[in-house]
Amino acid sequence: MAAAIRQPGWYRGALGALLGAAFGFGLVVALRAISGLDVFQTEQTGYPHVIVPLITTPFGFLFGFGAFDYWFRWAAGKPTVPEDHSGHGATKWQDYFRFNTDHKVIGTQYVVTTLFFFLIGGLLALLMRAELAQPGDQIVAANTFNGLFSTHAVVMIFLFIIPVFAGLANYVLPLMIGAPDMAFPRLNALSFWLLPMAGIIFLASFLAPGGSFDAGWTGYAPLSTGAPLGQSFFNIGVQFAGASSIATALNFLVTIITMRAPGMNLWRMPLLVWANLSTSLLVVGATPFIAGAQFMVFFDRILGMNFFNFLQGGDVISYQHIFWFYSHPAVYIMMLPGFGIISEIISTHARKPVFGYRLMALALIGIVVLSYSVWAHHMFVAGMFSWLRVPIMITTMLIAVPTGIKVFSWLGTLFYGKIHTYSTAMLFALAFIVTFTIGGISGVMLGMIPIDIHVSDTYFVVAHIHFVLFGGSVFTIFAGIYHWFPKMTGRMYDERLGRVHFWGTVVGTWFTFIPMHWIGMDGMPRRVADYATQYGDWNLLISVSAFVLGAVQLVFLYNMIVSWRFGPKAGDNPWRANSIEWLVSSPPPVFNFDEIPRVVGGPYEYGTPGARHAIMGGEDEGAEVPKTKPSTVAAPS
Amino acid sequence: MESASIAAHGHVDDHHHGPPEAHQSARIDRTILGILLFILSEVMLFGAFFAAYFFLRVVAEPSSWPPEGVELPVLIAGINTCILVSSSFTIHYALEAIKHNNHRGLKLGLTTTWLLGATFLFIQINEYIHIGFTPRDGAFGSIFFSLTGLHGAHVFVGLLLLTFANIRAYRGHFGPEQKDHLGVEVPGIYWHFVDIMWIIVFLAVYII
Repeated sequence: MAAAIRQPGWYRGALGALLGAAFGFGLVVALRAISGLDVFQTEQTGYPHVIVPLITTPFGFLFGFGAFDYWFRWAAGKPTVPEDHSGHGATKWQDYFRFNTDHKVIGTQYVVTTLFFFLIGGLLALLMRAELAQPGDQIVAANTFNGLFSTHAVVMIFLFIIPVFAGLANYVLPLMIGAPDMAFPRLNALSFWLLPMAGIIFLASFLAPGGSFDAGWTGYAPLSTGAPLGQSFFNIGVQFAGASSIATALNFLVTIITMRAPGMNLWRMPLLVWANLSTSLLVVGATPFIAGAQFMVFFDRILGMNFFNFLQGGDVISYQHIFWFYSHPAVYIMMLPGFGIISEIISTHARKPVFGYRLMALALIGIVVLSYSVWAHHMFVAGMFSWLRVPIMITTMLIAVPTGIKVFSWLGTLFYGKIHTYSTAMLFALAFIVTFTIGGISGVMLGMIPIDIHVSDTYFVVAHIHFVLFGGSVFTIFAGIYHWFPKMTGRMYDERLGRVHFWGTVVGTWFTFIPMHWIGMDGMPRRVADYATQYGDWNLLISVSAFVLGAVQLVFLYNMIVSWRFGPKAGDNPWRANSIEWLVSSPPPVFNFDEIPRVVGGPYEYGTPGARHAIMGGEDEGAEVPKTKPSTVAAPS
Repeated sequence: MESASIAAHGHVDDHHHGPPEAHQSARIDRTILGILLFILSEVMLFGAFFAAYFFLRVVAEPSSWPPEGVELPVLIAGINTCILVSSSFTIHYALEAIKHNNHRGLKLGLTTTWLLGATFLFIQINEYIHIGFTPRDGAFGSIFFSLTGLHGAHVFVGLLLLTFANIRAYRGHFGPEQKDHLGVEVPGIYWHFVDIMWIIVFLAVYII
């Protein structure tokens, strides 16, 4: 036992968590004693005895778990141990529960963890739909309902959509660019382990006196500055999720810039790599703003500062400006990696090069640049500067241009392609184009000031974001998981169950979210547990569809779990794709390659006879390398 | 031939040999690019607080800024600025020294930098104690302590990094090759950022 406690791992992690909690608690007691306050607060306002341990406990756990061991040795000036790769790779299932530095293990950890939180977020949504099936109060009280929709959004955004993309990219991106691992493997592992900390903090807020945070995922001040304790859990949890996000993005950027295989210049990078490059630029630039916004709310709540207290000279609207300066780019953080996934899948399954490859890459960069200029379209009715409205409306219209380029490029890729739909991934990719376009169009509608004023805070907004986030992002996530499942597990999923899942999800999505547009136009307000009886029938339909949608996800989970264990062996390249991750075994070897591959052509040269993207190490050096030029003309494959 | 690279299913055996060396596709060192990107995100974090500063000072239209009766110790802060700025030169001296394999110069430069940084922090804490208002005193108090405190936290982190560099310097761990003195160069880059950020904070909070 003593030996087990000295080794990094779960025992030492648990001990570290306990010590961390004790340290935080002790710190509060000591500081209060020094400053002459009551050691234990009886009249609770800021709950320092809860808040400080809430910050120190996760760090204690991470110290114990071994996240910082190497860095501590370095900091203390000890000779650093030559890397023995003992913390790398997985040979048994327990290895997935360690501080593992292998990008493939981390990718799997990310995807599994985030799917777990997807399930939780979904259950929260279903609880809401159960309450909303009928007008009046049935299942949950109005306050609990506020907590439900806030936690639902936060869990889905910060613990599912953003990190699941990081997980998928973590797995395939180093393989795609011919790198043996990410640039900073230990930082990569730390990024992952920060994530469950954030999740536990968010969910633990349900135990706080006063209930979970209930000011919406936006946490607008001054609603949030005066809210009960749960709101502080949100403030702190966001810092953990944000730090995880920033560290991963930094890692992706350095990996993509400095570790590409020889021959892979910028215009030979697969679009998934381009997409993650752009997303990471957004994360590094924008995420600090939500950290800042939540720090300010936290300071107002705990330290009695006055950022958002009007009576003391604070400025209430500034919260929304700072918050949306992150949170509008955040919707692109939740969408751009999906664009990359779709480009890969469409091109592979239509057997054609991506139409307008360079423009696709430039459109991503265009979205990155423009997305910093549209934040205030969330604030048309907030009472902000009136002169800012029209410029922001124009930039919002503008950002539809690069997005439109992408949609038309996918259609152009499909045009005259040999479209194979034997993969569920391709089905989801096709459905994505349709649903996302509808969500995009309602987004343009919302960008127009008069329409926005009419439908602000109605179900129209709910319909829009679910069409782009569920019909958009989540469809791409499903597509990506189905596409790379054979690579990650070495086994095939059950295509029949995949189809059940696909049709159930598409029909469920449409029946759940389309009627929301109509009741929203009619004026049904969002974020309210009760509503006027005239909306009753539509809401019943929405709730029933939502439950169907939820139930179908169980088919997906069953398919994934059972196929992972018992599915038929998948070949190395079941989809006959060109990019490098398909040229290694399934699952890939521990260190990806024995020798770094050489890139000799574009990634999407489908239909060009003999065209190759990369030559693997160990292949005959004299192998004929056909001259390939990126071409948009497809020959039949 | 293919079997060597592709059919490596026996994971246990793979632990014998490490990964292949990654191809270096850009001239910049990974660690340096990493710290530069990290600094970019730090700049944006300061940006969030500067945005708040702008709103509180300009948009909220306070009757006077700083509020009546508040006198900021510009002279002391100015002296403190000089201390911090000079430490940027000493760390640069340390880096140049180790590039020429001058270990004595490295130690001298690093130690001086550390002492200058610690002095800055000490003076700032003193300033906090004697400044006559608290973070709870209006929006001005909030943003003053947040901006300078956020910067102070960065000085503290910089000092930690310099401490690690000092320990290694006194153990003679660094060398003239770039890969052998990243442990000086990277904290140095961070330290320059902390200095430049202070100049901006100082100008915004104390001068204009």
